[in-house]
Amino acid sequence: MGKRDAVVVLSSDEEEEDWKPNKNSRSKLSSSVPQANPEVAKKKKKARFSSSVPRSRSSRVDQFEHLGDEFDEALRAFNGSIGYVKNQRKELWVDKYKPQSLEELAVHKKKVEEVKMWFEQRLRTPKEEFDSYVLVISGPAGVGKSATVHMIASHLGAGLCEWKTPIPTLWQEHVHNSSSGIRYTSKLDEFENFVERTRKYISLSGESKSSIILLIDDLPVSNGKFAYGRLQNCLRVLVQSTRTPTAILVTEYGNTETADRTARSIEELVLSLESAGACKVLFNPVTLNSIKRTLSRICRLEQCNVTAGEIDLIAKASGGDIRHAITSLQYYTLKPETSFSSPSSNGALACFEEKTVDLNSLDVEASLPFGRDETLSLFHALGKFLHNKRDTENAVTSDHDRFHLREKFRRLPLKMEAPEKVLSQAHGQARPVVDFLHENVLDFIRDENIDDAWTVASYLSEADFLLASSRGTITRSYEAESVLQSTAVSVAVRGVLFGNSNPLSSRWHAIRRPKIWQVEQSSVCNKFEMMKQRFTAYDGLSSSNLSHVAMEHRHVLKWLGSRPYGNGVLTQGNDTEGNKVDGMTSEGQQCEASEDEIEDW
Amino acid sequence: MASSSSSSVSSNYDIPWVEKYRPNKVSDIVGNEDAVSRLKVIARDGNMPNLILSGPPGTGKTTSILALAHELLGANYREAVLELNASDDRGIDVVRNKIKMFAQKKVTLPPGCHKVIILDEADRFFFDFFGGNMVKCRYNISMTSGAQQALRRTMEIYSNTTRFALACNTSSKIIEPIQSRCAIVRFSRLSDQEILGRLMVVVETEKVPYIPEGLEAVIFTADGDMRQALNNLQATYSGFRFVNQENVFKVCDQPHPLHVKNMVKHVLEGNFDDACSGLKQLYDLGYSPTDIITTLFRIIKNYDMAEYLKLEFMKETGFAHMRICDGVGSYLQLCGLLAKLSVARETAKAV
Repeated sequence: MGKRDAVVVLSSDEEEEDWKPNKNSRSKLSSSVPQANPEVAKKKKKARFSSSVPRSRSSRVDQFEHLGDEFDEALRAFNGSIGYVKNQRKELWVDKYKPQSLEELAVHKKKVEEVKMWFEQRLRTPKEEFDSYVLVISGPAGVGKSATVHMIASHLGAGLCEWKTPIPTLWQEHVHNSSSGIRYTSKLDEFENFVERTRKYISLSGESKSSIILLIDDLPVSNGKFAYGRLQNCLRVLVQSTRTPTAILVTEYGNTETADRTARSIEELVLSLESAGACKVLFNPVTLNSIKRTLSRICRLEQCNVTAGEIDLIAKASGGDIRHAITSLQYYTLKPETSFSSPSSNGALACFEEKTVDLNSLDVEASLPFGRDETLSLFHALGKFLHNKRDTENAVTSDHDRFHLREKFRRLPLKMEAPEKVLSQAHGQARPVVDFLHENVLDFIRDENIDDAWTVASYLSEADFLLASSRGTITRSYEAESVLQSTAVSVAVRGVLFGNSNPLSSRWHAIRRPKIWQVEQSSVCNKFEMMKQRFTAYDGLSSSNLSHVAMEHRHVLKWLGSRPYGNGVLTQGNDTEGNKVDGMTSEGQQCEASEDEIEDW
Repeated sequence: MASSSSSSVSSNYDIPWVEKYRPNKVSDIVGNEDAVSRLKVIARDGNMPNLILSGPPGTGKTTSILALAHELLGANYREAVLELNASDDRGIDVVRNKIKMFAQKKVTLPPGCHKVIILDEADRFFFDFFGGNMVKCRYNISMTSGAQQALRRTMEIYSNTTRFALACNTSSKIIEPIQSRCAIVRFSRLSDQEILGRLMVVVETEKVPYIPEGLEAVIFTADGDMRQALNNLQATYSGFRFVNQENVFKVCDQPHPLHVKNMVKHVLEGNFDDACSGLKQLYDLGYSPTDIITTLFRIIKNYDMAEYLKLEFMKETGFAHMRICDGVGSYLQLCGLLAKLSVARETAKAV
């Protein structure tokens, strides 16, 4: 296909995918030319972006750059000829600023070192026997799991053998294929084949070429018990038999409504892999500082003037998700130059009355649109509610004069907008707001005002009730649900404002993340575990109550601790009857024990 | 909606005004100026990042993303934009394939442009993905991960040719790996002034006879939702040829807020009987308890009263709303609510 220069073909066919490993293998070679190429391209681009870059390089550098340019041209022409032109300028920053070396990774140094050591040992000394060749890397989205493995592989000069999810087959395609004799293979089959192949292929050629890392980024979807079992088996076999260093990446889901049963089953899968002998490394969210460092590096390269404060905000709001931080930065720098200096959403603020002018300086930060779930603006709003600033005297009471409240129900006017308005500007969602308030409100109540704490708690519980009812049924219309949610959040916020009759004088408090989320998560996890045990114990008949399992069976199991686990589970059903009485008498003790267990979990 | 009996019609009379006055340019979009100003820059410079647009209905999410796509791609819009919304068939295979096939499609575009995939109502999307209702997918939920994986891989692999824009009501319903790959653009409810401004434009071009109170009523019924505002305006106009308060509430079939407001006022003044008779009147007019309570809640939210009372009133209304939603939509519940409000008032009243 003939392509002129001006036309960029945006395509993403096999050629591109072919091209990618190519790139990989090229960077594996330590010869300088291909390595230098991205560098040069970057420099060149910089120069193109703004002419203000001082051209004070030595002629040699110029020459080199010229050479690089030529190479670049040639490369582009080459790429163009195969129908793919890499578009240098219009990439996502996330792709554009992919880390190029281990040092550039935003992941904690020690973690990287740990993973690197793990791979290095297994690659460098293939003769030795390690008890495990599979590393499960788990962590939340966007903490650099894949990037770390990719970088380590290229650092160690190892090839990556990556499982790529195949494209689903269309029905027409299938019909076409089957007429020409190609049989349909399920994606799970393909995965199994892949695992099988790599296992065998590498063990065959294992002596000479040991420098291959197997990367499974995307576990295939397993739907239903049978498929799931197959996947689990397949992976277990892989863990037990492979001699190739393998990384399996698992994304953890935090506390969102999306943390559904899939997440549970993935957790279970990880557990089973571990029990089969896989090592596990947990990636934590990226630290604030390294996000900031990365962001400011990008800013420097892109030559956009974002202040340190703004970078700080973006970094904080991203919650340790570096990919999201970079995406946010890219989005944030898309500001019309004219109003660059005032990053306030004038639209939302302009329609306020004059009295907000003094608040404006604060709201400038409050209305920044970043963040995944809990936006920073939400924290500002929460701060307002918790600090509960009020006018010192009841200036205007004329409106309420016709109606006198009892002393204890009287409050001074609030020094803020209507709470609902503040919330809607902060894009607050009901559930997190209530949880956050619940977690933090006690810090703001005076020790002696126990009545206030009582009031606040009762209002919060009512809000919780309202919310719970909207969570339970999903058949309700959006309309009804939104009314319920806004009622709930209003009750919570106003309850906190009203209940805290005598707030502590303004003092700095860090707003904590609700602990309850963690607890909920681990409780769901425990429950799931117990369901599983119950299932095995009763052979599918779910006749026993979960709390029975928790209160009685588990302790029997613990008590029988010396026995092998599997047997213990099986005997559990028989032991039930006898231990019921026991369970009643030593209830308290068992409660303690179960709490301990939860901590261990 | 479109009666053919009118005389003062232009040729495209029967287009809903929502469509007719949907802004075609990003710069024409009303409200949310921060978000819109950024979108304008994208429209100018290209290189759209993956976006999640989240916000309540009728705030211009779909409009802005469509306008953006039009401005970005111009004549290529037809072939370079894939739009999927709730009305499309969203069986898992259809969608996965559609998206993937589209991402693989070769389109010749000027440099710096990308194909755009618009997933409207994306939060529903991950549920509806399975072609079933939501209850069903509670049991089948592991399907979600299929949709997720397909999408997140697609996003990554094709990022230099294809960009995604997801519109949804709550961003937290979108799974984390996808949130992580997108910049989140938040839209908030439009202010009354912003809606009014747009309504005035429409009223002027369509030569709708109105009185200011009528427009006020339209804005009240819309509750920050531009789509609703335009629909209600058009409905009122084609029904009555004149926009005043009465007609608006007749058309929108909402309890008259003034009426509801009077109820609250009676409660606050201690005239329980009056409040009850007001309620009876409303109920006899045929409004369902859900309608009444929704309006009541909004009135209370904006009613000027003591802080404690407002809190208690909201709480009780919330509980009543919950019961009504759970199916106990009886007249008795509404009366009980009024009684509870009165009790709250009595408790708070200074002796």
